[in-house]
Amino acid sequence: MLPKKPNLYTLLGLFRSAKPDEIRRAYLKSAKKLHPDKNQTAGETELFLDVQQAYQILSDPQRRAAYDATLPPDEVEKGPQSPIECKVEISRQTIPSGNDSQLIYALLRLSTGAEHKQTRVTPPLNVCLALDCSTSMQGSKMEMAQASAIQVLRRLKPDDIFSLVSFGDRAEIAIPATRELDIHRAETRIRMLTTGGGTEMYNGLKTALDEVRRYNSPSAVNHVILLTDGRTYGDEEKCYAEAKIAADEGIGISGMGLGSGWNDVFLDYLANLTGGGTMFVREPLDIERFLSEKFNSLSRAFAQNVEFYTEIAQNVQVNYAFRIQPDAGQLSFQDVTRLGPVFHDEPLTVLFEMRLEEGRQNGQSFQLLKGHLEASIASILAPVPNIPVRIDVTVDDSAEPGGPPQAIVQALSKLTLYRIQEKARLAVESGDYEKATQHLQRLATHLLSQGEKSLARTILLEAQHIEQQKSFTDGGEKQIKYATRSLLMPGEPRL
Amino acid sequence: MIHCPNCRHQEPDGAIFCSECGMQLVRLDGQDTQSIRPEPDDFGTAPISSQVVDMANVWISLHLLDNGQILSISDRSEFTLGRISENQPIMPDIDLTPYQAFDHGVSRLHAVIRRTNGSVSVMDLGSSNGTYLNGARLAANAEAPLNHGDILALGKLKAQVILNI
Repeated sequence: MLPKKPNLYTLLGLFRSAKPDEIRRAYLKSAKKLHPDKNQTAGETELFLDVQQAYQILSDPQRRAAYDATLPPDEVEKGPQSPIECKVEISRQTIPSGNDSQLIYALLRLSTGAEHKQTRVTPPLNVCLALDCSTSMQGSKMEMAQASAIQVLRRLKPDDIFSLVSFGDRAEIAIPATRELDIHRAETRIRMLTTGGGTEMYNGLKTALDEVRRYNSPSAVNHVILLTDGRTYGDEEKCYAEAKIAADEGIGISGMGLGSGWNDVFLDYLANLTGGGTMFVREPLDIERFLSEKFNSLSRAFAQNVEFYTEIAQNVQVNYAFRIQPDAGQLSFQDVTRLGPVFHDEPLTVLFEMRLEEGRQNGQSFQLLKGHLEASIASILAPVPNIPVRIDVTVDDSAEPGGPPQAIVQALSKLTLYRIQEKARLAVESGDYEKATQHLQRLATHLLSQGEKSLARTILLEAQHIEQQKSFTDGGEKQIKYATRSLLMPGEPRL
Repeated sequence: MIHCPNCRHQEPDGAIFCSECGMQLVRLDGQDTQSIRPEPDDFGTAPISSQVVDMANVWISLHLLDNGQILSISDRSEFTLGRISENQPIMPDIDLTPYQAFDHGVSRLHAVIRRTNGSVSVMDLGSSNGTYLNGARLAANAEAPLNHGDILALGKLKAQVILNI
């Protein structure tokens, strides 16, 4: 007997309830991977034809309805098995009735499924390094950046695609993206880079993204690394718009901020839009370490990016979504939130703080959030099944409140420190120096009790400086931000 | 509404930490903590048990004046003193909980004793109730030399220092 053909939904990794745009996205994603122009391996063309046929039926409402009628009812709720394991914990299962505000925390944990943990297929890289070559980079910064780029170049694998864009007032393609890179020539090009002009981020970003686009493929890791020591003026919004387009195309952006003069708020936000993160590189000497770390983490990823499609109940508000691990950082929570990569050996965890307002009646079941996750996995050819996510609570006045799960308390204990740091910074910006000092002192007290003595001392000195000079020291706010952030990450070297 | 007992800031119900001062607002029930807390060995700084000590290499002992017990240290040149508390991933090298540390006002991470080139020093780690050496309170985060016979007090927990170097 022939093996049973999977149903069309399973084939595309979808649930029976999938909306038309979900079906379209799933089809486009796998069609790009499986297209006969790209693949010659036996079996892939058949899979491509199956996927195409499934899409033709499911994208036509009439044909879909006719097909649905032929499916046995017991398959309705059974979804396909995702290669990613998903676990959601919430701070409490029951809430009291009433109209007052209630906070609920949810911790989403995604890890590589057991059968894929061992295989460790490393997809090829398609990476562009966008290097700030403005006047301020002159000297040791530029020398270290050049040396680090050459190191990266030498470690590329034959399948990898590497390009380099230098930008100042204008952007130039120093090394174009190509399949057959002449390492020798490329090294020479890197050595010839010179500094000059201001920092026009948009030109650099756009040019770099275009280089990645030339070979953009769902079977590779498509990424731009933006290394800068300065700030861009006036083109931030254009950069954000470009990052959103890139994210839709499956291209990630990571930031590396060098020294004290760069705009961390801008770079963090820009990278977050694509699920990427930003690193604070304090000294030029550290460039090489951070850059090779970045390249390692790009190839460590099992899923290059996970997207969270959500619908939130009317009187629920998501105060923030914060990635705890890997690469801690605030995410920009939207209808589609890009959560970033899931590594082979390290889970992706994201903490959500939700605020629930009025209108709860006893006995009611309350759906806070409903949605699904879509993952891009370069090493898996077939469509990757979506993962449904629901967060529900029950309104129950008689329930004994249990304690929140340990994992949530632990994540929050560190995250709270990061957020106090944010408050101190806001207070300085709004001119409330007394409040800023108070926040920093409280932060230092917590750090001391956790044994983070040197960081606590740095923060106390900073508090003193604010009291006297009404400002942070040069780069002080970044140092505190990234050091408190690094407390969230296990095993990360402290700044 | 929850009022933070530390800074009086108001937080909505369900808050776990005070967003103003960082104070933990929720107590976990002990059982949950016990089952999830990793084995002390995982931290690489397992609390030193006073029974299994190689007496030949003991370089410092703390003679607890309250109950006469002696804590001996041999295999490390630096150790922190404090008490393990629920819900906090802080692990002092020596956990003083069995010696009524809490009632004596010992902080979770109270002080560190360090041996460098034949001299021994003690440093208070910003503890709430202070570290006293022969009755005088030590400044936080500053090392003070420790001599044979000194009386060291962590909060109200007193011990005589016995050096063997």
